[in-house]
Amino acid sequence: MSSEEPKGRRALEGVRIIDLTWLQVGPQATRLLATFGAQVIRVEWRERKAIDFIRYTPPFAPDHATADGGRIQGVTRGHSNGSVNRAGYFNNTNPGKYGITLNLNHPKGRDLLRRLARDANAICENFSPGQMDKWGLGYEELRKINPRIIYIQTTGVGKAGVYQDYVSYGPTAQAFSGLTFLSGLPEPRPPAGWGYSYLDHSPGYFGAIMLMAAIRRQRLTGAGCYIDMSQSETGLMLSGTSIIEHQITGKPTTRYGNRMPFLDWSPHGAFRCAGEDNWTAISIQSDEQWHALIEEMGSPAWALEARFASAASRKQNEDDLDAKLTTYTIACERYDLMHRLQARGIAAGVVQKASDRFDLDPQLKARGYYVDLPHSEIGTWPIEGFPAKLSRSPADVGGPTGRAAPKLGEDNEFVFGKLVGLSTAEMAALTEENVI
Amino acid sequence: MNSDDNLGTSLAGFTILEIGNQLGDYAAMLLGGLGAEVIKLEPREGAASRRIGPFASTAPDPEQSIFFWRYNLNKKSAVLDVDAADAPPVLAALASKVDIVLLSGEFETVERRLPLWRKLAEENPRLIVCTITPFGLDGPYRALRATDLVQMALGGIMAVCGYDPGEDGAYDTPPIAPAMWHSYHLGGEYAAVAMMAAINFRELSGEGQFIDVSVHEAVNTCTEVAIPSWVYAGQVVMRQTARHAAPSVTHARLSTSADGVFMLANLSPFERELRALAELADQVGIVHVLGTPEFVELEKEDRVAAAIYRNDLLGEVVASLPANEIFKRAQALGLAWSPIRRPEDNLDDPHFAARGSFATIHHPELGRDLRYPGTVASDGHAPHFSYTRRAPRLGEHTNEVLKRAATR
Repeated sequence: MSSEEPKGRRALEGVRIIDLTWLQVGPQATRLLATFGAQVIRVEWRERKAIDFIRYTPPFAPDHATADGGRIQGVTRGHSNGSVNRAGYFNNTNPGKYGITLNLNHPKGRDLLRRLARDANAICENFSPGQMDKWGLGYEELRKINPRIIYIQTTGVGKAGVYQDYVSYGPTAQAFSGLTFLSGLPEPRPPAGWGYSYLDHSPGYFGAIMLMAAIRRQRLTGAGCYIDMSQSETGLMLSGTSIIEHQITGKPTTRYGNRMPFLDWSPHGAFRCAGEDNWTAISIQSDEQWHALIEEMGSPAWALEARFASAASRKQNEDDLDAKLTTYTIACERYDLMHRLQARGIAAGVVQKASDRFDLDPQLKARGYYVDLPHSEIGTWPIEGFPAKLSRSPADVGGPTGRAAPKLGEDNEFVFGKLVGLSTAEMAALTEENVI
Repeated sequence: MNSDDNLGTSLAGFTILEIGNQLGDYAAMLLGGLGAEVIKLEPREGAASRRIGPFASTAPDPEQSIFFWRYNLNKKSAVLDVDAADAPPVLAALASKVDIVLLSGEFETVERRLPLWRKLAEENPRLIVCTITPFGLDGPYRALRATDLVQMALGGIMAVCGYDPGEDGAYDTPPIAPAMWHSYHLGGEYAAVAMMAAINFRELSGEGQFIDVSVHEAVNTCTEVAIPSWVYAGQVVMRQTARHAAPSVTHARLSTSADGVFMLANLSPFERELRALAELADQVGIVHVLGTPEFVELEKEDRVAAAIYRNDLLGEVVASLPANEIFKRAQALGLAWSPIRRPEDNLDDPHFAARGSFATIHHPELGRDLRYPGTVASDGHAPHFSYTRRAPRLGEHTNEVLKRAATR
């Protein structure tokens, strides 16, 4: 992507982040900072409960994948084979970062973390609330060592407030905040919710936005800050207009599937196409587009019925309309349908599966969205990119390391030797003592 | 803690000129919540997002769009037809006084407006120009038509959201695009990330730059294991009711509380969680075999049957009490369960009240206050985003903005 750019042109040049986060939500934020050039140091420890859980989560690289190979060696379902360095999702979530092992349950480990924090711009964690305070590494302690420090902590509901001890993962926060309810077909159908932890992604983007706002201010004024991120609160931000509408109408929020209750748009949904579980989304935004669709279908008699003549009447008869339209789309090849409708100025798009997005999508290919990056154990793999092009300080998901995710403790020598300044003998002794 | 630490004023002194439609509303509002001044230039009939419902009035009215209200807090509005022949001198005058220009909309519209801004950026080298378009400014799909639904389809979120397949493995329900407007949320959040990076870069170098945000790519980044599952293992994940898409159908299912509320109540395969379920069952007086030698035996011999037993028991436990009671008891035992709330159920939740999660916004025209979700984080005392003013009425600040353009 930006490998020809001079290395100096990075927005976060010279920024150091101590990254104690794990799973998705914290690492998502620090991934974005590495993308803009920050030196992100991922801290783990060599005990199962102190290693990022997603290092144990499938998919794994194929068993035959080696450091000098990668996807080019072929794709099959792999296993961890006792290694914490073969998980694909971990690799995709942590490119561009340095990786160290550090035992925070050991007093010398905590001392080393303090030494790292002294020169760091920010420290990020998503432990259970209170864990860092127990170690004497909370915000108030760290700012005594480094008054400029930015401390960001992400939890399911947020540390301040009355539910501070509640346990929550992305799906919990989605259910709690209302996002799960909003997704799906109308009642009495249950909510469809989200097929993944959306609230492990968006709070990560917000984390990056706030960290970068704080880093800029820190560079200009020397001020630090404390950020208590709440995944559930993020869910409220993303609940659209429903909370405000409710205050005006007093009516409970309802679900509307793929339809569009907020505009005169109809038909509006995913329509079944030829093949197994193939669908194309169609949004008709005007009567003109409706007529164009009729023409494209060869003007079938049903489409000319008066009850489908205006947007308002189409909405009144939308169940029937969807069923009739499906009698047409069911025989269509999904991409062919999309492109024929697009050629007539109609918003239409295939419901793309991951395989479609990776293998077929010509737009993602042309924009260089997937970025090949090497990993020191499983070789070179395509990593999901950054969705914007910046002309002068380009996004580079390989970050300062130019690598996909770090192996566990891969950069101990660089970080403890070069950055902290320990001698080889000191590092050997600390390794012996189970500190690093 | 020092209140100067709060980020709600961290972009004070920054001005953003916003021109476009619903693709840009949210991004500009996010930076506005961090203290930037946002000036929205609108055509005489108002920005397109004023025509999106729901409306506070019975008939559509550009001043009554709740959608527009929600995504345009804190902003100023000036009526100026940016495509008119006499607009360039005014825009040039404004370009020298603002930090960021945000252009959003369909490709053709943005592409038509860009040459002027390329020229103005040469004259104002610190200027940051950010575009947000459905597919980005280049590539074969750049001019395709898109709506939120179409972006959610092509971007891959729909394929992983929806309902379980039937017992034969075939789906009789469509993939679902979760409401509401998440492709614009994603495009907006990434645009804010990119603009913050550009702002940081400008502090280092003194240089502005161009940013080209693709909503299509923004949606693509947000599907968790879907892409890794395909890239590493050649597996396509399957959508399933209110739980994670996975390469095969999983056993968990939705439960309903005694008062008829759906509960998100899943068990992780940890001993601690099984003990908590047993404890909950004991509390409500449901007889069970968890923890008995028979169950240990069953877990060894027939893992599927054991999982079905656990899930059935979980369903019975949830059905025995009202949702909020189950929620409290489960959380006290360390289970990450939650009722599936309507968004508005949070308005009166004491936790969000204590955090100041809702910003109270006065609407003089309504003669009342409305509470808007207004932050994602606290500094320990106050929200990090600051929203204080309702969305502007069309042209409310035209005189102020034109006067500023006219001053040297």
